[in-house]
This record gives sequence, structure tokens and C-alpha cells, in this order.
Amino acid sequence: MAANSLLASLRRELFASRGDALLSAGLLALIAAAAIGLLRWAFGQAQWVVIQANTTLFAVGRYPLDQQWRLWLLVALLALATGLSWGLLRANPRGDRSGVLWPANDRIAVAVLAFLTAWAPAALRLALPLQLRWWGITALLLALRWAAGRWGRRLPPQLLRWVPLIWPLLYLLGMVLISGGLGLIRVPPSEWGGLLLTVLMASFAILASFPLGVLMALGRRSELPLLRWGSVLYIEFIRGAPLITLLFLGQNILGFLLPGGLAPDRVWRAAWVLTFFCGAYVAEAVRAGLASVPGGQQEAARSLGLSVPQSLQHVVLPQALRIALPATVGQFISLLQDTTLLSLIGLLELLGTARTVMANPDFLGKNAEVYLTLAVLFWCCCAALGLGSRALERRLDPSHFPA
Amino acid sequence: MPASQPMIEARGVEKWYPNGFHALRGVDLSVSKGEVVVIMGPSGSGKSTFIRTFNALEEFQAGSISVDGIALSNDLRNIDAIRCETGMVFQQFNLFPHLTVLQNLCLAPVLVRKRRRAEVEGQAMGLLERVGIAEQAGKYPGQLSGGQQQRVAIARSLCMEPRILLFDEPTSALDPEMVGEVLEVMKALAADGMTMVVVTHEMGFAREVAHRVVLMSEGRIVEEAPPEIFFTNPQHERSRQFLAQIL
Repeated sequence: MAANSLLASLRRELFASRGDALLSAGLLALIAAAAIGLLRWAFGQAQWVVIQANTTLFAVGRYPLDQQWRLWLLVALLALATGLSWGLLRANPRGDRSGVLWPANDRIAVAVLAFLTAWAPAALRLALPLQLRWWGITALLLALRWAAGRWGRRLPPQLLRWVPLIWPLLYLLGMVLISGGLGLIRVPPSEWGGLLLTVLMASFAILASFPLGVLMALGRRSELPLLRWGSVLYIEFIRGAPLITLLFLGQNILGFLLPGGLAPDRVWRAAWVLTFFCGAYVAEAVRAGLASVPGGQQEAARSLGLSVPQSLQHVVLPQALRIALPATVGQFISLLQDTTLLSLIGLLELLGTARTVMANPDFLGKNAEVYLTLAVLFWCCCAALGLGSRALERRLDPSHFPA
Repeated sequence: MPASQPMIEARGVEKWYPNGFHALRGVDLSVSKGEVVVIMGPSGSGKSTFIRTFNALEEFQAGSISVDGIALSNDLRNIDAIRCETGMVFQQFNLFPHLTVLQNLCLAPVLVRKRRRAEVEGQAMGLLERVGIAEQAGKYPGQLSGGQQQRVAIARSLCMEPRILLFDEPTSALDPEMVGEVLEVMKALAADGMTMVVVTHEMGFAREVAHRVVLMSEGRIVEEAPPEIFFTNPQHERSRQFLAQIL
């Protein structure tokens, strides 16, 4: 039945008329040829040993081997937090009317996750103990998701309200685990690399640029001239310059501007430049969101006696930020991709690591394998961001709230 | 007849918009406690602008306004105090779409009056009962009809326990079949002795409920009379023209 209707709709969509059929057949042939070519190359000619031999380098760069247990611990903690949040979200469904889609999505996500943990470490020829670790961590995540989904409903609501706090705490803890301090040996930022550095840079810039952008958007609408012109100047200056220029500027100028010890090291300089860059674009997205909240909302809030900060916090911003969400996440996705520019100022994030690997005489000419891997990695990260944003949008959309 | 203790006292109010338009040209109005005043007039006559000066949604440049004995000045504390005492119901409802009906009602009492949420929720449910939509408390404004939304908006104003209610064309954005349910709520409020200033074109409401009808034109008050005189024997030519147009 389902297969029949699928066939019928395919016929209707693709082969409605003779012209359509011709076009569809031509395109399908083209796609098939490209796909077959790619698969042939990937499973026949490509020599994946360049990836397999450098997995650690791609993952964490030159992070000291004897300290890598800290990263494993962090991954395990992340898995715990993810499993807990995921399960609790399932236990307390809200808003989402597309009830059919959500559990199906959920099961697909579990299946993909399980497949990836079973297949990827083996495909990368990781040592058996490492493979076992990945299985353990994934099992932890799924077990917690299951447990929280099953018993999450019975938790008292006061406790549930504190759960989101796990994430900022975990972020701080992760920073300590990665960089050291509090009794752990320091690992300076110059030894971070690969995916670790990419994710760190992107997540730091995303987390810091969001409040910055909101403040700047509010500043741009402020009635105080100094605040307004300051925000406009900042936003327009940043938006008028290419990121790569700002990155070079940051590397060279911050050293002169700030007295000796105060200038952060190269990695953090770059992180702040990324933050300021992304903040200006987030500000514009939030400004559009603010502009789309009708003026009557502010008037109603003020006429009820709310102060300006109260009406912003409880009435205007919740609506504006929901509207600005897709554009903001779009900015975050391009920020994640823009971290590749850091390789040009000499940081060994994913692309920088890839270039050192490709410069290694043992792996000369393996560019295609390396770049394809990079593309897939970035695609996965961006897809995850996009999926998360759409789920959040659905959850916050008042028109999707259950009747 | 209501007691003559003034709740709103406006003297010689002048307002220019930033583009130079002279919206209010020396308006005087006094509203007693428990009185229902209906303001009518053609569009652009300044009637909405005028009642929006009462809770400082609009600034004015000359004259004086005092509400419940508090003078409207640039002192923000006075403005906040007045806004707590005056509720306003808007043409476009202006409910908060991201909050449920119950949350819409409880937001201001909890934030501004610092009352306990549980206590406010009890009062809010009582008010929703009174405007006839208690069963919708958990819904979002977008799921209600226009008439229901406007009744929620009235309940939201009442939840702050105001001494004065301002209505800015409360039925103009409603489908005709929903006007009645909102007017019923307003009539009940008037019968309970609420002080109300209502900008509306609802003749029936003005005739039945108002103690006084005020006609504004081009930023001035043209005529001020009890409804039985205003509708049958207006004194001014401008009033006769206006009534001829809307009747």
C-alpha cells in the first residue's frame, strides 16, 4: 500500500509528461553516474590509510598522550549530559504537534548513533581498547536516555528546572579538563588541535557572541545616543571587514594595544575575534527579531506597570529571540565553517591539521581523501546544529502548542 | 449617580507629534469615581491620543493631568504608580502570544506587585470565571477567538486591581458577532462601579451605560453631555454632523 502510493507519487512528480520524463531520466542518470564514480573511488582507489594513521592528530592535534584521559572523561560526561537531557525532553514532550515525526526521528537518531559507534571506530582501524571505549560511552548515553525517558516524568518539577544548568557547568568543567588547572597539569592552547580546537573555538564564539549580539541589538534601539552610536559603529565596522582581515588584525594589534602580559595568547585572540565578528551578525538577526514584535506588546507590558527591563525580559525578548532563532543559527553554522580560516593564521584546527598531514611526505597526493573527510565532518556538525535549531523552533512556536 | 471625587483631572492638555501635528489643543476633562465616560469622534480627532496620555503611553507638552491624585510628570515613579492604578484595554488586544492565558494574567501582579504566584493564580481564575472563559486558562492567545482574546485582555487588566480602566476602541477589531460578548463584560464592570473611560463607536453601549458622552474633533472637546441629551438633542453643529454620519 505504502509502496504503491510512493510509486504513484514518484510517477506524478517525476514522469508526468514526456518532457518531464526525459528531464528526470537525464538527471537521474547524471546523479547515478556521479554517485557510482564516487563510490568506486572511495572503495577502490582511495587510500584511507592517511586518515587511519592520523586519527588522533585529526581528533585532538598534539594534545599530550598521557593527558588524553581527561578528554575521554569529558566525552563520557558529555554523553551522560546528552543522554539525560535527551531522555528528559522525551519524557516531557511539549508543543510539538507533529507527534508522528518526533518518535520516528528519535529512533532514527538512536539507530544512526549505534551504527556509527559500531562502524566508525572499526573503519578507522582504532585499537580494540579504543573501540571498546567508544562502545561504552555510547552505551552510557543510550542507557541514560532510556532511563531518563522512562522515569523522568516522576522527577519533581523544581529539580527539572535545574537540569539545563548542567550544560554551562559542564562547559566550565570541560574548559578545566582541557586546559588544566585545579591540580591538573596545564596543557597550553598551542597544543590543542584538530577537531578539539575547531569545536572549542566555535562553541566559545557561539556562546559568547549570543549575549554580545543581543546587547548590541538592544543598544542599537536605545534612546541613549552614546549607546546607540557605539552599537551602530561596532556593528557596521565589523560587518564591513572580511573575517580574515580581522583575524590578522587581532593577531598583530592586540599585542600592541594591551600591555605585555594582558594580551591573550594567539588561540584566545582568535577566539575573541571570532566572537566579536559573529556578535555583529547576531545583533543584526536579533534586531530583525525585535523589529517584528509589534509595538503594542511593549505598550501592553508598560501599561500593566512593568518596567522597561521587565517588559524586555518577559515580553519582548522571548518573542524576538524566537523569531531571530533561524537566522542566528544560520550565523552560527557559518561561524563553524569560518573557523577554517584560523589555519591561515597558523592555528592547527581541522583544516590546519589536514594541511600538515598532506605536507607529510608519507601521505603526499592524498588530498582528496583528506578533504572529503573534512567535508563530511563539517557537514555532520552543521547538520546537528541545524536539526537542533529546528527542534527548538518547533518547541517554542506558539502556533504548534497543543490545543 | 457616582460620587464627585475626581479620579482623572485633565487641564489644558496640548500635544504635538514630532512631525509637528497638533493632536490635542487644550483639552479639559474631569472623570469622577465610578463614572463611565464614552469618548466619540471621527478618526484623527485625537480621542485615542487623549486617553493614552492618562497612563503616559503618550507624552504631552503643556497642561496637566492627575490620575487618582497623582500628578503625571516626568518622574518615572509617578508614571509607574499611575500605570499600576490604571488598566488599559487595546483595540488589538495585545495579549502576550508566548504565554498562556493564565500566565498573561499573572505576569504583572507577580512582577510588579510582588505577590505570590499561587495566590495570584487563584484570583486570575476567578477573573476568568467572571469574563466567562475559565476553561481556556491553559490555552495560548492564538488559539482563542477575537472576542475571547479581548475578554482575556480585560481580565488581565483587572488582575492588577486597577482603580480606573481605559478602553481604546475595544471592539473595533472584532467580528460583529463577537462585539456583544465583550460589551456584556464591560457593562458588568460599569454596573460594579468601575471608573471607565471608553473610546468607542458603540452607540448602544454609550446610550445604555455611559454617564457622559464626550465628542472630540480636531484635537478639541466639542460637546460633553449625558447620553440622553447627546443623542437626541446635541447642541453643536459638529455633533449633529457626526451623529448623522454614524447613525
